[in-house]
Amino acid sequence: MALPEAEAPSGKIVEAHDLCRRYGEGEAAVDALAGVTVDFPAGRFTAIMGPSGSGKSTLMHILAGLDRPTSGTVSIAGVQLTDLSDRELTQLRRDRVGFIFQTFNLLPVLNAEENILLPLSIAGRDPDREWFERLIDTVGIRDRLTHRPAEMSGGQQQRVAVARALVSRPSVVFADEPSGNLDSKSSNDVLELLRHAVDDFGQTVVMVTHDAHAASFADRLLLLADGQIVHDGDAVTAEQALDLMKSVG
Amino acid sequence: MLKLVLRGFLQRKLRVLLTGIAIALGVALMAGTYVLTDTINRSFAGIFQVANKGHDVVITPTQTLGRQTRSQTSPITEQMLAQVRATAGVAEAAGAIFTPASFLDLHGKRLTTGGAPGFVASEVPKRFESFVPVSGRFPTSASEVAIDQATAEREHLRLRERIVVAGSAQARQYTITGILKFGGGQSFGGASAAILTPVEAQRVVGEPGRYDQIDVAAKPGVTPGELRDRIRAQLPSAVDVRTGAQQAAKESSDLESNLSFLRTFLLIFAYVSLVVGAFIIFNTFSITVAQRTREFGLLRTLGASRAQIMRAVVIESLLLGLLGSGIGLLGGIALAPGLDQLFKSFGADLPDNGTVLETRTIVVSLLVGVFVTVAAGLAPALRATRVPPLAAMREGVEIPPRVLSGVGVLARALLVVLVFAAIALLTGSGAIGVIGFIVLSGYVTFLLVRLMRGGVPGRHPVVRALARGVGVLVRWRGITGRLAQENSIRQPGRTMITAASLTVGIALVAFVAVLADGTKATIDQAVSRSFAGDLIIENSSVNSEAGIPAILAPAVRRVPGVASVTPVAFTVGRLRGSSSNSTITAIEPASFGRVYRVEWAHGSNATLQQLGATGTIVTKAYASSHHLKVGQTLSVLTPTGQHVSLTVRGIASDNARLLGDLTIDLSLARSAFGQRDDALDFVTYARGVSNAQVQPIVNRGLAAYFPQARSRTAAQFKADQANQINTLLTLIYVLLALSVIVSLFGIVNTLILSIYERTRELGMLRAIGTSRRQIRQMIRYESIITALIGGVFGLVIGVVGSVLVTTFALSGSGYVQSFPIGTLVILLFVAALAGLLAAQLPARRAARLNVLGALASE
Repeated sequence: MALPEAEAPSGKIVEAHDLCRRYGEGEAAVDALAGVTVDFPAGRFTAIMGPSGSGKSTLMHILAGLDRPTSGTVSIAGVQLTDLSDRELTQLRRDRVGFIFQTFNLLPVLNAEENILLPLSIAGRDPDREWFERLIDTVGIRDRLTHRPAEMSGGQQQRVAVARALVSRPSVVFADEPSGNLDSKSSNDVLELLRHAVDDFGQTVVMVTHDAHAASFADRLLLLADGQIVHDGDAVTAEQALDLMKSVG
Repeated sequence: MLKLVLRGFLQRKLRVLLTGIAIALGVALMAGTYVLTDTINRSFAGIFQVANKGHDVVITPTQTLGRQTRSQTSPITEQMLAQVRATAGVAEAAGAIFTPASFLDLHGKRLTTGGAPGFVASEVPKRFESFVPVSGRFPTSASEVAIDQATAEREHLRLRERIVVAGSAQARQYTITGILKFGGGQSFGGASAAILTPVEAQRVVGEPGRYDQIDVAAKPGVTPGELRDRIRAQLPSAVDVRTGAQQAAKESSDLESNLSFLRTFLLIFAYVSLVVGAFIIFNTFSITVAQRTREFGLLRTLGASRAQIMRAVVIESLLLGLLGSGIGLLGGIALAPGLDQLFKSFGADLPDNGTVLETRTIVVSLLVGVFVTVAAGLAPALRATRVPPLAAMREGVEIPPRVLSGVGVLARALLVVLVFAAIALLTGSGAIGVIGFIVLSGYVTFLLVRLMRGGVPGRHPVVRALARGVGVLVRWRGITGRLAQENSIRQPGRTMITAASLTVGIALVAFVAVLADGTKATIDQAVSRSFAGDLIIENSSVNSEAGIPAILAPAVRRVPGVASVTPVAFTVGRLRGSSSNSTITAIEPASFGRVYRVEWAHGSNATLQQLGATGTIVTKAYASSHHLKVGQTLSVLTPTGQHVSLTVRGIASDNARLLGDLTIDLSLARSAFGQRDDALDFVTYARGVSNAQVQPIVNRGLAAYFPQARSRTAAQFKADQANQINTLLTLIYVLLALSVIVSLFGIVNTLILSIYERTRELGMLRAIGTSRRQIRQMIRYESIITALIGGVFGLVIGVVGSVLVTTFALSGSGYVQSFPIGTLVILLFVAALAGLLAAQLPARRAARLNVLGALASE
C-alpha cells in the first residue's frame, strides 16, 4: 500500500472525530471514551493528562492505530484508520507512527544501534545515515551504540527508544509515560529530547502522562476525565497543570 | 497445596497436553508392542491347540542343538511307526509330514505372502486331522492336492485348478481337489498349507519312508501320560515323546522365544522415544519452574516449606505422567494393528486374532510412563525448592545455578550404569541392558550438554557457535532472521536441551544409515573379491532359510555352456563342552576353490582336497577365540545327535561370511548332519561363453523344474543384499520417526513457553510495525535454527559413533567404511522440516497476539 506522502491539507497530522470506546456489554459496559473530537496539528508537542481511568491511554491507543474505536473516526496524515485492515494498519504504524513506551521495550538481543534501526529493518528500508548520525548525537548515545540494553541505564535505554521512534521520520510520535520509569535527571533529559525533536526537527509528538512536571514540557495540554476532554489549552507550568488535575479529581 | 497444583494444571491445558503427548507416544509404542506380541502368541497358542487335538501322544525328532534347529533328515521311520503301533494301549498311530515348501501358480508366481511360510503336509487319520474340507475332499492320488481356505481365497484358486508344489524334489503340478478350513475357526496363522497323500508328501520333501512326527491315540482307559511313558521306553533318544498337551505347550513356547526378538526390537524404539520424551519433560519443567519463580517465592514467604514446594512440583509431574501414560496406553491398543500392518508391509505376515490386553501391559505401560515423567521432573523440582522467599519481592531473581564438575558428571553416569546393571542382573534380561544403554546414552548426551557450558551456566560456546553457523541460512532474510538467530541463543541451555531431544533420533538414524552403508559396501567388496563364478542359484523366497534341492546342481551341470556347478550348504554343530552352536558351511572340495577365493591364513586350495570325512577348515576369528591350531581334533555334535571328530586342516579368513565357523565336506554334512538341501549353487561358465548365452537357459530350466529357485549374477546378488538391508533400514527409519515426532512436540512446547516469556517484546514489535507474517517468519526461523542445531549434533554423534563402533568392534573383519552422503544431507533437511513443522502452531499463536494486551503484560 502506498501511503500519500503529503500531509493532510488541513495541516493536521492526526484527526479524531467523535471517538467512543466501550468495553464489555450490557450493564457491565464501561465507556472509556465517550465522544472525543480532537486534532493534532503538525510540529506541536501535546500532553494528554487525566486521572486513572479517564481514558487517556485508550485515546492514545486508538489514535496510534493499536486499538479500534467502537464508533467515530481517526485519520493519520489523511489516512482513515477505521477503514484499514490489520495489515494496512501495521504498515501505517511502521511508516507513519513512532512509539515511546514507559518500559523502554528495547529488544535485549540487539545492541543500541540495531534497536534504533529496528523500524527500518522491519520495513526493509535502508537507513538515511546522515539522519541517523544526527539522531544519535542528539540523543547522546554515540559511545553506547554497540551496547546491549542490559548494559545501559534506564535513561540511556529510553534515549535509544526516542531515537528509535524518530529514525523513520514518522508523521507522529506517541509517547506513553516516557518518563514514568526514570529518575528525575534522566526524566528531564528525555523530555528535553522530545521538546528538541519538536522544535528542531518539526516532529509532532503526543504524550500521555500523569506527571504534571512532564506535561509542562508540552505546547498544549489536553485533560481527560470520564472519557471526555475537559480541558484543551496552551502549555502551563507544572503547578497549574497539577491544579487543573485536582479540579477534575 | 494439591488444590493449587490441580488448578495450575487445568489452567495450562495446552502445555499439559503437549508435554503429555511427549510421554504418550513412547508409552503407546510400548503398549502396542505388548498387545501385538501377546496377540500373536495367543493366536499361535490357539493354532497349536487345534493342531494337537486328538493327539494323546506325539513323537518328534529330538532337537539336539536347541529348539531353533532341526535336522533335515528325520529319524522317524516306518519301522518306528510299526513299533509304536505294536505298543500296548495304542488305539491308533499315524506318521505325518509337515515341512516347509514352496507353492506357486502355473506362471511361477508364489502363492504365499511376505514371510509367511508354506507347508507341505500329509493327510492323517480323521481323529488327528486339524483340517476340515469346506469344499471338495482330501487328495486320494499322487497328483492331487488340498489347500487351505485362506490361501485359496487370497489367490482366487478353485477346485480342479492346478498349482505347483516345489520341495526337495523336482517340482510337480497338482490338481486341487479340496479347499480346507483349519479347525476351530482359527486362521492358520497367515501360513499356507498344501496337503498331499502321505507317500507323495514324503517324496516332495525328500524323505521317502520317513515322517516328521507320529501322532498317537490311546485306547480308552489309558491316560496320555501312561502311554507316553510306555512308548518312551521303546524308542531311541533320537526322538522326543510328549503328550498332546505337552506338545502344544512346547510349540507355543518355541514360538514365543522365536518372536521374543520382535518384542525386544520394538521395545528398543519405544524406549528411545521415552528418552526423548524425558528430555522434553525435563525442559518443560525447567522452563515453567523458572517462569514461576515469583510464585514459588510467594509460597515460601507465606510459609510453605521446601518439601511442600518439592511435593507440589513432583505431584504435577506425577499427574502429567499418569495422563500421558494413560493416553499412551489407549493409543497403544489402537496402534497394535498398525504395527502388524507395518510388519506385513515389510514382508512379515503374523497372525493376530483379536486383541489381547494383558494386565502386565497396563501395569508396565503406566509404571514406565509415570516413572520416566517423575524422574525427568525431579531435577527441576529440586531447583524449585531453591527459590528464595525474596523472589516474591523482586523481579528478575534467578535461582542460583549449580556448577557441575567433570567428576560430578562421571559419578552420575556411573550411578545410572550401576542401577541398570543391578536391574539387568536381577532380572537376567538382556533387553534391560539394551534399554539401559539407550537411557545411558541419553543421559550422557544430557550431561555433555551441561559440561559444554564449561561448568559455567549461560555460556554454551558450542551452541552459540552452531546457532551462528546455522543462522547464516536465515540471516539473508533480514531482521526476522537476525532476531530468530539471537533469540535461539538467548537461553542457550534451553535451546540445547530442546535440540538434544531431536539429536537422539537423528543420531540414531545417522548411526544406522552409516552402518548400513558400510555393510553394503563391505558385502559389495567381499562378493567382488571372493566370488569368481558367473552365477549364483538360490531360493527366491524372502525367507532366508529356504534352500534349494540337492538335485538342482547336477541338473544345472547339464546346461550347455556351464563349466562347473558347486553346491554350498549351511548347517550347525556344537563343539564338545560348548553351550552354543557353531555355524558350519558344507562345500564340495573338488570344485569350491575354483569359484571361491579363500583367503588362507594356514593352508592353501590344496587343503580343500584333503578335507575328506574328517577334516575341517576354521575361520581365523573362530580359531583365535577357541584357541585352535592346525592338526587339532574337535568333537562336534550334529543336528542328528551324532558325534563326529574333525581335524583342523586349515585356517582362513572370509570377509564375505560364506564360510561358517567350521567348513566341512558336503558329503559329511549329508551323512552325519542330516543336511538334505543346499543353500546356494555357484555356477561357472565355459571359456568364451557370455552370460546372455547361458543365464536365460538356466532360468528357463529353473522355471520348469525348480520354480522356487532363481539365478543371480554377482551384480544382481549384490543388489539383492543391498535391497534386503534397505528394507530393514526403512523399517528402522519408520520406527525412529516416532522419536523425531516426540521431539517435535518438545520444540513446539519450548517455543510456546519462550513466546509467552517474550509477549511484551512481541507486542512492541507489532506496535512499531512488524507484520504478522514477519512475526510468524521469525518464530519459524528460530525453530529451524533450533532443529538444525539438533540435527547437526545428531549427525556428528551418529557418524562418529558409527565410525568408532565399527573401528573397534569390527576391526579386522574387513568392514569397509562408507558414508551415505545423500542420506545424511536429507537428514539435515528432515531436521529443518521438523523445525518448520513444529513452528506452525507457536508462530500462529505469536502472530495472533493482541498488541495492546501483549504490551500491557508483565
